[in-house]
Amino acid sequence: MTRHSDPTQVQLTADGRLKHFLTTEGLSKDLLTEILDLADSFISTQERAVKKVPLLRGKTVVNLFFENSTRTRSTFELAAKRLSADILNLDIARSATSKGETLMDTLWNLEAMYSDMFVVRHADSGAAHFIAEQVTPGVAIINAGDGRHAHPTQAMLDMLTIRRHKGTLEGQTVAIVGDILHSRVARSQIHALHTLGAKEIRVIGPATLVPKEMEELGAKIYFDMEQGLADVDVVIMLRLQKERMSDALLPSEGEYFKLYGLTEAKLTLAKPDAIVMHPGPINRGVEIDSAVADGDQSVILNQVSYGIAVRMAVMAMAMSGQAAEQAAQKNESQETTGDDA
Amino acid sequence: MSTFTITRAQLMDPSQGLNELSDIIIEDGVISKISKAGSTEPSSHQFDAQNTLLLPGLIDLSCHINSIVSETRAAARGGVSLLCTQPNSKPIVDTPADVSSIQQASDQANNSQILPLGALTQGLEGDQLANMVSLKQAGCIALSNARAPIKNALVLRRIMEYAKTHDILIMLTAEDHDLSANGKMHEGPTANRLGLAGIAEVAETTALAQQILLVELTGCRVHFSQISCARSVEMIKAAQDKGLPISADVAIANLLYSDCDVNGFDSTFHVQPPLRSEQDRKALLAGINDGILAICSNHQARDIAAKKAPFAAAEPGMSTLDSWLSMMLTLVAKGELELNSMINACSILPAKILGLEAGLKEQQQANLVIVDQAADVCFGADDLASIGKNNPVLGEPLKGKVCLTLSYGCEVFRA
Repeated sequence: MTRHSDPTQVQLTADGRLKHFLTTEGLSKDLLTEILDLADSFISTQERAVKKVPLLRGKTVVNLFFENSTRTRSTFELAAKRLSADILNLDIARSATSKGETLMDTLWNLEAMYSDMFVVRHADSGAAHFIAEQVTPGVAIINAGDGRHAHPTQAMLDMLTIRRHKGTLEGQTVAIVGDILHSRVARSQIHALHTLGAKEIRVIGPATLVPKEMEELGAKIYFDMEQGLADVDVVIMLRLQKERMSDALLPSEGEYFKLYGLTEAKLTLAKPDAIVMHPGPINRGVEIDSAVADGDQSVILNQVSYGIAVRMAVMAMAMSGQAAEQAAQKNESQETTGDDA
Repeated sequence: MSTFTITRAQLMDPSQGLNELSDIIIEDGVISKISKAGSTEPSSHQFDAQNTLLLPGLIDLSCHINSIVSETRAAARGGVSLLCTQPNSKPIVDTPADVSSIQQASDQANNSQILPLGALTQGLEGDQLANMVSLKQAGCIALSNARAPIKNALVLRRIMEYAKTHDILIMLTAEDHDLSANGKMHEGPTANRLGLAGIAEVAETTALAQQILLVELTGCRVHFSQISCARSVEMIKAAQDKGLPISADVAIANLLYSDCDVNGFDSTFHVQPPLRSEQDRKALLAGINDGILAICSNHQARDIAAKKAPFAAAEPGMSTLDSWLSMMLTLVAKGELELNSMINACSILPAKILGLEAGLKEQQQANLVIVDQAADVCFGADDLASIGKNNPVLGEPLKGKVCLTLSYGCEVFRA
């Protein structure tokens, strides 16, 4: 007796092309690979003197950030500009909704400005999915992080980082360390890694921060970091928020670092050529030692530059998916009219 | 004297083992005669109930109502004769004046009649006892704190002792508000996948265990509203087997749906208590089929804006009164719920819990419903009398069409 739209299917056109980018869950290996390939091709354009490509020329992209995030917003802004789109940054966290306007009111106002794409960050899980269901057809939604649910562009830039440094995702053993419970990044990474053929996905942390249900997403749980890091190819460290101590999830930053902080000594347990990643911003001395963050195995800064290419790729693909769907619907309605005549 | 005759109805009342083709005569709102079909003289004011079921009217142990006219009309359409309204309305029902204004509005609306529940604590704030005896004298059939927390176990103990002293039925929800804090749905694989904060089963069961122990201490009569976990059914049964004066009900939503239904972030399924696992749903149905649990609508109308938001930000609650009986009969048609158990759970047992006349007997007030059990129905938003269109069955095929509802002998709905 159910009547719900599958969150993983809302983002696809009838013929399986991307029209929104809400989650990595449920997307095919081919589609995820297409994102990575396109992003790869954009990396070379980024190294040129003239960095712009005209794929989104004449389109208006609105950065709709209900939560503050200078870094993610900036990379989306840069990605849109390099695709030749016009971009409007709205810092909703400090404006409209705090004056009693509902999310729907905000959306209707923005749609009245004929925007073509919303890049959405919101503190509620499912917010991007909700907006995608409400907007006028033809407008693409890119999820820039919703609650604890998903942060798909971050996950895809992580996949690109692994692929560029390891050659492939297939057969890799990947450990994700830290606050898995609150992490939208970890959830999106797990889905993407799984689909792209990683050999083993491990999540490492204390039971207060690692839900046992993570096993159902295909991850293996380790409470002991030494065991969890043994022979991994990739180590992904997650940021630890200060609130975790006041919420009684952890006793102190000190004890956390002792047990789950990545040090040079612990890193030796991983494969010698293992890479170290972090979605940023890093807390030196809390989840990662400076020597590791700045060390040879760290690819943290590369992640940032790949982020722009990945965001360009999904924006270009979603816009073209929307255009294809609009064209298909137009054809369909013309055919129907033809039959009537 | 006004006389109303119902002919050729399949009368079902499991409390008396009745399942017979019958005629019923109602005089001045009271059932004066129940006899074999065909034994009644034709009358000018009669209803031919051929091919339909005649059941004791539904008694809803819990619903949340602000607009009395529309929501009691929704109840009448859903086959409800009497409905207990939670005290968390606007204003909160914690004084005798609030009670009488609800009673007056209910009389005037002339739909299904309201049996108001009064607040257990002043302002539902959980720390000071409401004037419990005055509320009872004003006509509250029982007292409840809706889902608002009671400050601590000591206040709860005092409430039970005071209620016991004055033979007041109290209704409690089992929820440890520290354990459920910020939770939006059942803690399980779906909540983890969707990244929604979970409400663990223990948020209900630890509170229930504490409350049962306090019942054992105080001897207070307690009804547990809207239990949601398989484990709670076991605990209720064990406590009943020990002879404790307790009863419990389940919200219809928890019988129809599970946490998997939240998959699409559909805010219609944002309810309190949360939709639990499929295993819990099955155990709750078994508890009803075993005669242990009652069913309530837990109706809560929400306007569109309250639900049109991301799941966590949407207000919890489901509008169910209009479709309550059809929802239950759909479970019967699917073979998940036995018809006799259903009648027991939504009418006989609630009457016994509230200390009212149960079932269909001569010389009783005519609270009854006639329903075409086999009819296919499908509700659209415009078919709902409730102002809340937050009903998950809109557009879904259901079984069972309500034909006639009587509340205290008054015809409150006819299809």
